[in-house]
Amino acid sequence: MLILSRRLNESIVISDDIVVTVLEVRGDQVRLGIRAPRHVTVHREEVQREIMEANKAAAKAAGRAASGLPKLPRPERSD
Amino acid sequence: MTAVMIESGHLGPVEIDDDSVIEFPAGIIGFPDQRRYAIIAAEETGVYSWLQSLDQPDLAFLALVPAPFFPDYAPVIPDEDCRSIGLTDPADAQVLCLVTVGDDVITANLLGPIVLNVRNRKARQVVLTDSSLSTKAPVLEL
Repeated sequence: MLILSRRLNESIVISDDIVVTVLEVRGDQVRLGIRAPRHVTVHREEVQREIMEANKAAAKAAGRAASGLPKLPRPERSD
Repeated sequence: MTAVMIESGHLGPVEIDDDSVIEFPAGIIGFPDQRRYAIIAAEETGVYSWLQSLDQPDLAFLALVPAPFFPDYAPVIPDEDCRSIGLTDPADAQVLCLVTVGDDVITANLLGPIVLNVRNRKARQVVLTDSSLSTKAPVLEL
């Protein structure tokens, strides 16, 4: 892993067009500004992990879903 | 059209039509090696369907069409995600959310919806950046 030290308002540049800037440091929290082209997706790491955990829970509960299907709520008909 | 039979771990023997097969080029998050799924209607209203893995018969997900339950849900799919499944026309997109049946609540994952390009049958699980969305949005309290 590349490790860099940055001060407030300093930035790092990733592959020409992605700029990450330290905007604020307060206690153990750091606010980062990220400037990147539209096609670059940026996520908090825990979001990806949370979705993975939700998927694993969904897969694990598939058997329960199969047996409980008749009880699942149906939308009310609009007609 | 050809059909094959598979022995699903959860659904028993199922006949899979070619038409129902979809491909996740990147897999579903946490299941990167399972790329091919069949979409199988789970009941008559069309709201619930199964995503049954064709690579791993004991892997299946229940999914729902979010609109009837979450009428305000309008996920904005990032360009890069659209590009990865060749999606250029929003009319070709079908959104499904994975369902978890828990002990006391049934939830839907609104933060990581499945987006299917109905034209080429390629799909992707998208990670949204809207922090107000939950991976466990309640559909029903049991």
